[in-house]
Amino acid sequence: MKTKWLAGLIALLILVAGCGQQAKQTTQASGEKKNELVFASTKDIRDINPHLTGGELAAQNMVFESLVVNTPEGVQPKLAESWDISEDGLTYTFKLRENVVFNDGEPFNAEAVKQNIDAVVANYEKNAWLNLVQVIGSTAVVDEHTFVLTLKNPYYPTLEELGLTRPFRMISPNSFIDGTTANGVNGYAGTGPYQLAEHKDNQYALFTINEHYWGDKPKIGQVRWKVMPDHQTILLALQNGEIDLIFGADGDMLDANAFTSLQEQGKYITKISPPSGSRSILLNSKREFTQDKLIREALQYAINKQTIATGILNGTEQIADVLMSKSTPYADIELTARPYDVAKAEALLDQAGWVKSEDGYRYQEGKKLSLMLSYNSDNAQEKTIGESMQNDLKAIGVELELLGEEKQAYFDRQKSGEFDLQYSLSWGLPYDPQTYVSTWRVPSHGDYQAQAGLEKKEWLDQTIGEVLVEQDEAARADKYEQIFSYVHEEAVYLPLTYSVVKAIHSEALHGVTFNVSQYEIPFELMYFE
Amino acid sequence: MKQYLTKRILGTFPLLILVTFMAFVLINLRTSDPAEIALRVNQITPTEEVVQQMREELGLDDPFLIRYKNWILNSLQGDFGNSYVNKKPVLEELQQAIPPTLQLAGVTLLLIVIFSISIGIICSIFENRWQDRFLRGFIFVLAAMPSFWIGLLLMWYFSVYLGWLPTSGMNGPASIILPALTLSLTFLSTYVRLIRNNMIQNASENFILYAKLRGLRQSTVVWKIFANSIQSSLTAFGMSIPRLIAGTVIVENIFAWPGIGRLCVKAIFNSDYPVIQAYILMMAVLFIVCNLLVDICIVMIDPRLRREAK
Repeated sequence: MKTKWLAGLIALLILVAGCGQQAKQTTQASGEKKNELVFASTKDIRDINPHLTGGELAAQNMVFESLVVNTPEGVQPKLAESWDISEDGLTYTFKLRENVVFNDGEPFNAEAVKQNIDAVVANYEKNAWLNLVQVIGSTAVVDEHTFVLTLKNPYYPTLEELGLTRPFRMISPNSFIDGTTANGVNGYAGTGPYQLAEHKDNQYALFTINEHYWGDKPKIGQVRWKVMPDHQTILLALQNGEIDLIFGADGDMLDANAFTSLQEQGKYITKISPPSGSRSILLNSKREFTQDKLIREALQYAINKQTIATGILNGTEQIADVLMSKSTPYADIELTARPYDVAKAEALLDQAGWVKSEDGYRYQEGKKLSLMLSYNSDNAQEKTIGESMQNDLKAIGVELELLGEEKQAYFDRQKSGEFDLQYSLSWGLPYDPQTYVSTWRVPSHGDYQAQAGLEKKEWLDQTIGEVLVEQDEAARADKYEQIFSYVHEEAVYLPLTYSVVKAIHSEALHGVTFNVSQYEIPFELMYFE
Repeated sequence: MKQYLTKRILGTFPLLILVTFMAFVLINLRTSDPAEIALRVNQITPTEEVVQQMREELGLDDPFLIRYKNWILNSLQGDFGNSYVNKKPVLEELQQAIPPTLQLAGVTLLLIVIFSISIGIICSIFENRWQDRFLRGFIFVLAAMPSFWIGLLLMWYFSVYLGWLPTSGMNGPASIILPALTLSLTFLSTYVRLIRNNMIQNASENFILYAKLRGLRQSTVVWKIFANSIQSSLTAFGMSIPRLIAGTVIVENIFAWPGIGRLCVKAIFNSDYPVIQAYILMMAVLFIVCNLLVDICIVMIDPRLRREAK
């Protein structure tokens, strides 16, 4: 009798399972035009106060706009219709767009611009990572729609930096608390195409169209930003039709494997942006072995980047011969690439006096040529790349020890310079090259530490300081050439690949494109068909 | 009994102090500067001035013991400090995260009760026959599978393949089924075995033999065996409650469930010390209180222990 029970139970389960599948097929058939785009992210949007760095850039970009915008064609007008730059490069006069209001109804005018820029500059400590904040001298309102920005010294990337996703975006003065944004804001009223309608911490954020928007209103009525901490869950949710879009850089949302497997399924549209940032390895010029330029050069020839690009990154990233891709401003210069050439690498090590012993490793005066690659253990991809390099270096008799550490310990090591090799990711466009090279002068960055042993490090820092204030285009290009040539010549960077932004979306979604900044997502251009 | 109770309750205080002190020491043993961490999580380059400013803001310049004392005293008043990441009070974060975890733990507990009792009874009735072996084997395999894997398999089957349930998130009653099921599967094997073995043991007791001889219906007999077999499971059950709440970490992450486990993982990844400390304190209290309650229950149920307690 009891066996009957069990058999009955199993039969029931099978029956129900069958029905379930049918049910799913019917719901899929009756698809109607959607008005909500669901975007999955491993991270919550957090506090999107545009003047601080705590929120997700992509979310800040939906709600807040700046005077200008960075496009592939250069800086273009946004909230400012036009601008004049004085001859000495110190005074920027902006003619503001008229009839623009914040989504709380507050008019956008020169006074609002002044309050915003003053608030950013007043919170100097937290915003000083951006050079522009350091050089702003004063701000002034000329009339309702004319605003003047005066610098302490000329700074050529002023417009580029005004157009960044933060901190120079405009938030309604009504959202300020006690005249400042440094300690938080009491609302997120911006002038952008969307407004934040609802936010549940760590669950979702809902953005709806800003009815006051001055430009073409977005076609998709609302964007739901869903937080899903696990990558696998995001993939299953995409396959289940719960989300429409996955978008991100550097394995943030999607690792290379998952991307390729979805690409192969053919049911989704996959897109890759043009090269954005640069992924390289720092070769520390201050450490016992890597202070020898011959060794640094040998390492450059020994790494098989093809394996890394195709085997680990599944062909989603381009091989880098030099530190900055040619599409980066001022980086289109002739530098001699160091292609994969094991014989050459071995010859360089021989020349440096390192002799291969029976165990396959090289020794000098009884010392083994052993290097350490430090990486952030959160990043699985960096570990795999490290393993591939370990293998390549073994072939030329160099031992590579992989040291994965928890994030803060990794940063501590970076700051102290106690590493032979470490990863360096440039900031990507539009921060590259100016913000990236600017950080080379800051001791807490790995770049500074790795360059610290270079003979002309002082000259390098000084030249970086000069290039940022250089007003003459040709002289600026020349200085950048000197900077890039020197670090290339000294082989302190081992360029690996140029990183890209990846997007995967359902077939119904159209208009998925990339902004210049890898951190922004142009939701306002997307539509369903 | 009263004396026993006071003794036990008073005994929990030194334990709590020890646990929190250890947690505080361990976190402070790290070489990284918390002020720098607090800056890094907000992507601020830690220059000397900013680090010093942050140190003052967080009160890190006080000596270790003073900081511990301040933290304990503030915690007792519900002030766990502010999160490094979003500057919100930790208490607020906990208050937001606890209800979802309690919901999840509650439903999981219910599933554990339903499944372990029904499977345990079936196994004991069919002792060593194929049904018993099959179910035990099945449970064994489930217990051996890591929960993130079970979670993903269930998600694929019920959400993607069958399309019955949402993959993740917390919206509507349907969304709790998969995480609760995943969580319950890891606990099932213990209870199924406990119930089954106790029932088999009790089935050979004299009072069961008499019940059978009296010609009672089989269901009544099974009920009698079951009622006498449940006690040891209840004890184990009591201790499962804190384990359940502390063990939701992986499942909450996979199913995007906004509970305390996810809060803790996020805090660990960001080295958000105030949140981690508050979490440890909360879990310590939970374990100690549950342990105490279970002990008191056992004393109250068992007359021999009750006499000893006097």
